[in-house]
Order: sequence, then C-alpha cells, then structure tokens
Amino acid sequence: MTLQSRLAFVAFLAGLSRGAAAQGSAQTAGVPFADGIRAYQDLRFEQAAALLRRDLARVSPATASVAERTQGLAYLGAADLFRGQRDSAVAVFRRLVRLDPRYRPAALLFPRTVTNVFDSVKVETRTILVVTPPDTEFSAGAGAYRFWVVSSGFQSVEVSLRYQDGGPFRTLYVGPIGDSLRVQWDGLDAAAQPPSVKRVLLRVTSRAPTGELAGIVQQPLDVHLVHPDTLAWPRPPADSLFLPERAGSGPAQRAILGGVLLGGLIAALPTVVGGDPPSGPRFAVAGTVGVAAMLGSVLHRPGRLLPANIATNQKRRDQWQRYLAGVKADNARRRDDIHVAVRAGEATAMLPSGR
Amino acid sequence: MRAICVVLGLATASGPLGAQALAPGAAAAVVQTHLLSQVASGSARFSGVLAGGQGVLSVGRVGLALSYVQGRVAPDGASGPGYDLVEGSVLLGARPVPWLTVSGGPHARAYGLLSGTERWLFWELRVRAAGAWVGSAARGYAELWRAVSASVNVPETFDHAQGAEVGMAVHFARAPLEVRLAYRLDHAVLRATGGPGLRLETVDGVLVALGVSGR
Repeated sequence: MTLQSRLAFVAFLAGLSRGAAAQGSAQTAGVPFADGIRAYQDLRFEQAAALLRRDLARVSPATASVAERTQGLAYLGAADLFRGQRDSAVAVFRRLVRLDPRYRPAALLFPRTVTNVFDSVKVETRTILVVTPPDTEFSAGAGAYRFWVVSSGFQSVEVSLRYQDGGPFRTLYVGPIGDSLRVQWDGLDAAAQPPSVKRVLLRVTSRAPTGELAGIVQQPLDVHLVHPDTLAWPRPPADSLFLPERAGSGPAQRAILGGVLLGGLIAALPTVVGGDPPSGPRFAVAGTVGVAAMLGSVLHRPGRLLPANIATNQKRRDQWQRYLAGVKADNARRRDDIHVAVRAGEATAMLPSGR
Repeated sequence: MRAICVVLGLATASGPLGAQALAPGAAAAVVQTHLLSQVASGSARFSGVLAGGQGVLSVGRVGLALSYVQGRVAPDGASGPGYDLVEGSVLLGARPVPWLTVSGGPHARAYGLLSGTERWLFWELRVRAAGAWVGSAARGYAELWRAVSASVNVPETFDHAQGAEVGMAVHFARAPLEVRLAYRLDHAVLRATGGPGLRLETVDGVLVALGVSGR
C-alpha cells in the first residue's frame, strides 16, 4: 500500500468515524453497536472494532442492558480475531465472560474459529456473577432473600455475608458450583437474631479446583428492619353499656303504689259504677292485691342482686376480655414477625493479582 | 260503634300486618257472683258460683275476646228457689297504645226464672288500662264499660248500665300460664213503665281464672 493510498484509507476511516460519531448519541439511545455490527457483517473488521470500542466506552449499565453489552463484546472479540489481534480478542472475551458467565456465542452468527477461542477463554476465566433481586422485603426467619450465583464454569465458592469491616456475619454456602446456584438468606445472623447493622457485604469467593483463588465478588446489602405496626387495645365497654346489677328503689315503689292504686280502685268501685254490693268479696280481693303488693315490694327490694343483669354484664366483660386477648396475641405475633428490607448495591469484583 | 271502628282502624294501621303473629289465649274461670235486685217494694239478694271459660285471639293490636260462664244462684239468707244464670260476651278490641285497649260488642245475660227466661243484651263500649305492676310478672288492670244500647225482655224500660272490673294477672316465669284475680261489678237501671219507680240490678263477683297466656 502506497503512502497516498494509506492516507486515503485513513481519511476514509476518519470520515467514517466522524459520521459514526455524529450518529453515536442516537445509536446509544436507540440500538447500540448497530454500526459496528453492520461493519462486522460487511467484513470491515478494522472499522467494526473501532466503532464497537467507541460504543462500549460510551455505554453504561444504565444505557445498555447486559445482553446488549455482551453482544457488542462478542462482535468486538470476533472483529479483533479476524483482524489478527488474538491477544486483544482474548482480553475482550475475558471481559465478556466476566460480564455474563453464562454467555455463549451463537454458532449461526460466529464461525467455529471464534467460538473455539471464546470457549478456551471461558475455561481459563473463572468468574462469578451475583444476580440479586431489586428491593426486597421478607419476614425474618420465615421468609428469605434469594439470589443467584452464576459461574463461568465448575469451581468452588464460599458465599457469605460480612460486616463492613470484613468480619464474618453469616456463611450461606460453601461448596462447588457448576453453572449457577440459588442461595438464600433468612434475614438472621449467625446467632439467629435479626441483624443489628444497617449494611452487610455479600461476598462470593471463588476458587479453582486446585484451590487457587479465582476471584471475589462483593456486593453491599443495605438492611433495614421493619417492625409491623401493632394494633391498639380495644377500649373497655362504656359504663353506660352495663346494666344495673342491683335493683333500684323503683320496682318496690311501683309495687306498693300499684297495690294501693288497684286496691283503692276495687274498694271504690261501687262509688264509680253504682249499686250496693256486699263489701266482703270486694275487700277480700283488695286485700289480696295488697298482700301481692307487699310481697312484690319485698321481692323487688332495693339493693337486691339482679342475676340476669349480672350475667349479661359478665358476658359483655368476657367478650371484651376475649377480644383484648386476641389483640394481645396478634400484637405479640406482629412483634415477633420482623421484616427485613434489603436493597442491593453495586457489585464489585476483585481478581487475584496477575490476572 | 263509630268510635270503635275508628280505634280499630288506627290500631291496624299502626303496624304491618305481615309482621304480626297470631296470639291465642284461653282460661278457665270461676266467678263467685252476688246479685242484688232492688225495686221500690223491696230487694232480693242471690249468690252462687258461675263457671266457664274465656278466650282471646290477638293479631297485632287487634283482638277478639270471648267469655262464657253459667251457674246457679240461690237466695241469700232465705230459702227459696234459685235460678240459672248464663252470661257471655263477644268483644272486638284494639290497642292504640300498649297499655290501653278499647273494645266493644254484645254482652248477654240470661236468668232462667220459673216464669220464663229473662234476657238482657247490652251493646257495650269498654276501655281497659293495663300495665306491669310487680316486676314484669304481675300486671294490674282496670276496665270500665258502659252500655250504649240494651235490649231487655222485662216490663221496665232500660235506662242505663255500666260496670267495671279491676284485678291483677300473674304470669308464671317457667310456663305460659297465667292466674288472674279480679273483682267485677255491673249496675243496671231500669225505669218502671208509666211510673217513677226504678229497678236496680247489681251484679258483682270475684273472678279467678287460670289459663294459657298469649302474651
């Protein structure tokens, strides 16, 4: 290639780059990596690598999903491979594996040359990904905070929660992992108590089968204890709802007054109606009414206990006591049912030196 | 009669008939009866025991009361023939308020004299007040009546008649039974035809009844 032709190619690339840069923001906002992928499909690998690197440098987790970024990295690795930059391709694939350990390039899109290199990189790159749910609230002890540990290959992991100073809080899992592992935390510490701190670190330490440290992924978890509201105690029944438990003077007075009235009426009937009947039967009836009145006043004497009212009042008190006991039991249950709200922070990966 | 119809109408209009249950009641009654017949020339006293029954059928605030007693009365303090006495009434009543009953209807009385049967028929208007008196078990009541018209097959002409009954009813706590004790008094005045003389008929009695209460 002559100097002129080299200059022309550079000018072409520069123009292409400017054009691509002009469309960059729209691409990022729309479909990222579209230009780079198109260039790759047109076998313009140099241009594809440049465009894909530029786009990868621009995107963030907020603007591109993991799937989009893995796609961009896969095309970039393939482009690097085809332009003879194997080391660069290996580095890109390693980055791809760390982003999504479960990713596999599609055989329909990438030739065997690419997938073979990717597979060898994946075998060498032991990485772990922690997939945590968004803000979660669960019942401490009874419920669980569930998350996934995704591995690029077979390795041993230790999943634990730690205090912010690194001290052990709770070990959740120690053992091998193949593809992925579902781990759960019941919201309690090692002493089976709700956490006394507001932040713990979820740490996943991975080791190769040889025991060599492969990496550490650490993710802060903001922990907040939620105490459910308790119910207010029911008020005791108002005094106005209770019936009098002792008789007042009213019934006895009414008996006496009624007897006097009835007896008087009977005695005075000839005056009202007329006639001159014999007085004996009339006064006998009036006397009987008087005796009944006296008996009634004794039976309904003031201060007499009223068993029916006492039973009704006791029933009402028992009903309130039962309701109160129910509320107390419910409150005790609510106090024991502590909820743990967890918000996962940004995960950070630490690799052993030399990798 | 018009007043009775008005009271009946008010009583039935004051509550839905669909929610009103039929409440029957019946009682056996014994009446120790005294009769005093006074005319210008003298007086005669008779007494005896009448027995019979009473019944009531209520629907809401309207009720039909029936009574029938019969027996034989004999002269008081003298020997002589007695005679049969039969008495009955049919009264249709209404309760405009729970403690007050207004009723009306025929009240018949027959004396089986040796000379023939003497029949008295009163069309009465009654007013009865009742209320709990000793607790809720004992109720007292007072009833007054007056004849608005009468038909009597005696030589004298009917002038007026009125009566009353005052008593108490005790309801058993553990059974739908009721015992009643009352004193009743009727007084009728008849005027001699073509003369100033009066005939006064007074009937009083002590009533004891035991029956099933429909309350």
